[in-house]
Amino acid sequence: MSDDIVNIEVNGETVQARKGQMLIEATDKVGAYVPRFCYHEKLSIAANCRMCLVEVEKAPKPLPACATPVSEGMKVFTRSPKAISAQKATMEFLLINHPLDCPICDQGGECELQDLSIGFGSDVSRYSERKRVVQDKSLGSLVSTDMTRCIHCTRCVRFGEEISGIPELGTCGRGENVKISTFIEKSIDHELSANIIDLCPVGALNSKPYRFSARAWEMEQRATIAPHDCVGSNIYAHVLRGKIKRVVPRTNEAINETWISDRDRFSYEGIYSSDRLLTPRIKRNGEWQDIQWDEALQELAAQLQKSAGGDTGVLASPSSTLEEFYLLARLAEKLGTANIDHRLRQQDFSDQKNDPVFPWLGCSIADVEDQNAILVVGSNLRKEAPILAHRVRKAALGGAAVSFLNTEVYPYFFSTDQYLKNTDLVAELASVAVAAAKVSGKPLPATVRDLCASAVSNAAQEATAKALLDADKGLVFSGLLANRHVAYAAIRQLVAAIAELTESSFGNLSEGANSAGACLAGVLPHRGIAGKVKDQTGASADQLIDAAAQAVILFNVEPDKDLSTDAVAKLADKKCVAAFTPFVSAALEESATLLLPIGTFAETSGTYVNVEGRWQSVAGVASPLGDSRPGWKVLRVLGNLLEVDGFEYVSSEDIRDELEQQLGASKETRTYKANGSAAKVGKGAAVQDVPIYQIDAVVRRAGALQRTPEALRSESGEAK
Amino acid sequence: MAEIQNFTMNFGPQHPAAHGVLRLILEMDGEVIQRADPHVGLLHRGTEKLAETKPFSQSVGYMDRLDYVSMMCNEHGYVLAIEKLLGITPPVRAQYIRVMFDEITRLLNHLMWLGAHGLDIGAMTMFLYCFREREDLLDCYEAVSGSRMHANYYRPGGVYRDLPDQMPKYQASKWRSQKDVDRLNAVRSGSMLDFLQAFCDKFPACVDDYETLLTDNRIWKQRTVNIGVVSPERALQLGFTGPMLRGSGVEWDLRKKQPYAVYDQLDFDIPVGVNGDSYDRYLVRVEEMRQSNRIIEQCIKWLRENPGPVMLDDHKITPPKRVEMKDDMESLIHHFKLFTEGYCVPEGEAYAAIEHPKGEFGIYLVSDGANKPYRVKIRPPGFVHLSALAEMVDGHMLADVVAVIGTLDIVFGEVDR
Amino acid sequence: MSRIRSYIKTFTLWELLQGLSVTLRHFFIRGVTIQYPEEKTPQSFRFRGLHALRRYPNGEERCIACKLCEAVCPAQAITIESDVSADGTRRTTRYDIDLFKCIYCGMCEEACPVDAIVETRIHEYHMESKGENIMTKDKLLGIGEKFDDMISADKAADAKYR
Repeated sequence: MSDDIVNIEVNGETVQARKGQMLIEATDKVGAYVPRFCYHEKLSIAANCRMCLVEVEKAPKPLPACATPVSEGMKVFTRSPKAISAQKATMEFLLINHPLDCPICDQGGECELQDLSIGFGSDVSRYSERKRVVQDKSLGSLVSTDMTRCIHCTRCVRFGEEISGIPELGTCGRGENVKISTFIEKSIDHELSANIIDLCPVGALNSKPYRFSARAWEMEQRATIAPHDCVGSNIYAHVLRGKIKRVVPRTNEAINETWISDRDRFSYEGIYSSDRLLTPRIKRNGEWQDIQWDEALQELAAQLQKSAGGDTGVLASPSSTLEEFYLLARLAEKLGTANIDHRLRQQDFSDQKNDPVFPWLGCSIADVEDQNAILVVGSNLRKEAPILAHRVRKAALGGAAVSFLNTEVYPYFFSTDQYLKNTDLVAELASVAVAAAKVSGKPLPATVRDLCASAVSNAAQEATAKALLDADKGLVFSGLLANRHVAYAAIRQLVAAIAELTESSFGNLSEGANSAGACLAGVLPHRGIAGKVKDQTGASADQLIDAAAQAVILFNVEPDKDLSTDAVAKLADKKCVAAFTPFVSAALEESATLLLPIGTFAETSGTYVNVEGRWQSVAGVASPLGDSRPGWKVLRVLGNLLEVDGFEYVSSEDIRDELEQQLGASKETRTYKANGSAAKVGKGAAVQDVPIYQIDAVVRRAGALQRTPEALRSESGEAK
Repeated sequence: MAEIQNFTMNFGPQHPAAHGVLRLILEMDGEVIQRADPHVGLLHRGTEKLAETKPFSQSVGYMDRLDYVSMMCNEHGYVLAIEKLLGITPPVRAQYIRVMFDEITRLLNHLMWLGAHGLDIGAMTMFLYCFREREDLLDCYEAVSGSRMHANYYRPGGVYRDLPDQMPKYQASKWRSQKDVDRLNAVRSGSMLDFLQAFCDKFPACVDDYETLLTDNRIWKQRTVNIGVVSPERALQLGFTGPMLRGSGVEWDLRKKQPYAVYDQLDFDIPVGVNGDSYDRYLVRVEEMRQSNRIIEQCIKWLRENPGPVMLDDHKITPPKRVEMKDDMESLIHHFKLFTEGYCVPEGEAYAAIEHPKGEFGIYLVSDGANKPYRVKIRPPGFVHLSALAEMVDGHMLADVVAVIGTLDIVFGEVDR
Repeated sequence: MSRIRSYIKTFTLWELLQGLSVTLRHFFIRGVTIQYPEEKTPQSFRFRGLHALRRYPNGEERCIACKLCEAVCPAQAITIESDVSADGTRRTTRYDIDLFKCIYCGMCEEACPVDAIVETRIHEYHMESKGENIMTKDKLLGIGEKFDDMISADKAADAKYR
């Protein structure tokens, strides 16, 4: 491929570059920084800010480095007098209409315009005429605007067109009158939209919840993981005096690249909601009283010791940390109960004995965009895992045949190959399986033969199967709608069969941020710590409340929102319901007898295992509010009170390492093997779509997210 | 013969003649000093480390607090080091202002020294006379910077503000009639330079008074002649600088040998001692006051004739004028960035030394290209001089320790840093 | 000859008498002391004393919570919390200066883009109990209101130099 390489000279230094690369990539490679506003590696090239002008030998005028392709023998000067004067002149023009807002602008201190003005601009203005003023736009509750500050780099416009796929912003007018605007006063409404805040090099687009509350230089940047979906996006929390002021993406090309979803970005607001439980509370004679931690835990330990093993149950949110899961599993072991589960929304457990040790996507997240064909089954992907949806979109833009199989049509901003819509998922899948058998010429696997007995395939289904079969790399995965489906077992077997027939990878999404962690730690009725099969299978999620007659531990669970509708009433009858929760709500007050304040994801250290099996450990980033304590610490003390052996953990790392040791090789066991004949179709609500901003207790309390058009729609019942 | 045990005695840190927080462990044989061991560090504030944690321009105020009787001189050393690294030269007017205030500071320092030293060894009147003269100089400090001691006035690239063209005036009160007030305000009617000129006119007569009181006084001579003698060779070996070195007869003055600012354009003499004892050092310092007065007068003359900017016009380093900042985008950005991040200083190292009233005050700066110094090392003259204390008091009487501490002219702000 | 003169001087206490003549002269010169606190020494308009927060003539707070003073303060004596105010502008919700930390360097005043935080001429103040060293926003605004005339005159006098 030596034809592809050209040699150019940057400031006298020889650089090799690929043909077709832009100059700016070559200059960046040698560390010769060229100032830029509109250029962004993840976006297309616009070359409209003109800041990156450099001198190129033999070119009569300075050329924009971001839009000039390299060619053999090119000689580039980034700091020659000509380049410097061109950059200086551009800077002067950019500042002509910029308002004197620095002191009140949130971008002040981290503003690219300021930085480049210092580094490349003049130190005094020659412009004394009137400055132009642009009317602000209302972009909804997430993004604040000060459009007079805009320098028209169009990064936000290109983001809409290229990344989110929905052109929400555009330019109108020309010359002096050009403005960035929404299409006819619409607020932005995409689950990745708020990334324009990071993209905007100036203070035109900023975070609304963060508005005016802190300065870039006074906050500490602490790395953590967003715990609202199974992707495990890497984020930085910006913390001022122990309190999270905002969240920004942490670049990780393997997971979230440079983007994060709005849910991950603004959920921190929930941490500081007025619902926070600040002290342990106990219900005595129907009255809630504040008590001390030691008293509360002693009370709980006494209650737990009183109730017989099987009469106790543990329910944990799938977004808890691995360490919390492990301690819960050990406590359950000590209490002698198998009634422990984290699969709060799952309905069909008939095939659970065949579960892999932990749920897996079927390939790594980064690999999704390299697939040639993808079939997504039973998933409102954009709402379930926005970052994964972006990867799928990238695959589709890259030419992959992306098909969906759902009960209804969810909009995607790329051309889907096939859209298979059927209210009966099982029947539709059976047809696809038949189609797959037909196009591949292989017999249907024995496990699904009964299910496919009466199925007939049509052209669309065959095309889907054909695409998967023809693909070098094919991927079939099911989403959370399938997970929560009454016939999950059948769906899973069918999806696995389709994958097998078309020689594609098979996987599925999982609930919360850490279902994989919960499975590995043994928060399951049928499997113990490290995936060991339990002698006796306990009750799973929905039956657990009935089974555990005496005492129930709720960990990070809100019974009215996370459990079935009658859970609150059922729990209210129990003798002891201990809720480990950061928040208090009417439903919790009604159902629980003991409220123990634990920290949210930001206030506790711990490990999250994402859908590709990646273990990501983080430290607590914010100070716990009131008397709340990290969950693992509370559980450790409870364990000590219950005299569990070897419960003297000093740090969450101790706990993680202990589990990791027990897991050994099974840490990697993640492939599902269908076994036994197809399960019967159960009864109940077929599809349970949880709105994107209702997914867990923290998000439900994030004010700005709850005011988005998306949240308002789902509230009024027109979820899409 | 009975075995005699030496006395070990604690001198300070709460001793009035310890000049601050010096703690000396003295081993005595009767009245005679066998060994003197100075313990330092009681006033350590970590100035060097503090300066390494904040942008370059924010540490000027901390330099005032090193040698807190010669504030602006410390600032001068620090800003010179930064300017050396940045490769900039402040406007000439700023340099004259700096030299003028350096010399005012020298007067302040020597007056303080003379008063305190006199008080230590029995000449109480000196203290009152010296403080009377200091008052006028401190008024100049206040007029120009707003603070009577910790001025924070020099900036990399110049000085903060030009000299004021009015002086504050006394107000009539029930204690003072209008006529009396008018008399006091006579010297305050003009600009700060007029006020300072009036001071310069009267100051030589004041020095004459001090000399009448001390120079030939037999008690003074008994306390200082042949006390703490340091030979020129030994003085060099010990790293003496300033009056301590010149008192021993070595002609060394950075203002002449390595001229900085505008010292090479000014006319002044360097007094040198002969015997290297406390008395000669006294004579050197008194003469330095007369010479400083000469320099100040020359500066006043130049400054009157040459108005101009006092701060470099490069707003990448110096903040823009407030008027510009308020209606000019570039200036506002530069103002904002200078006061939050400061500026980045090119990678490298620099040592800048000035002739501080006490000797050579040096700042060694290492920059790694960031907006904070990578390393700041302060070379305080007092620390070096204090380290020679043991040698200088060896064999002297206990009462002479006070005289030697006095002649060292140490201030613990800079010794302990 | 000079030796004889020297002996004479020694025995007649000549240099001591000379010195005494200086002190005697001073006995008749008017004193330079002033009767504080009824009488005060002149104070420069640049004097850096106690802080104040100013308002615009229409009563609006000047401070816009830009936090430049907090950033530039070498002693980190200033603590600011800010938020969106009722009218949508950027305002402080807390503005504390710890007078024990403050080194009165005047950098806050230099940094302030709207002349809100200033150091006044006030230098005679004291604290009687713990916590009074924290100048809160209300206290600072109070000083600004009470001494507005003096502050405005001082700042106007100094404006041309800055």
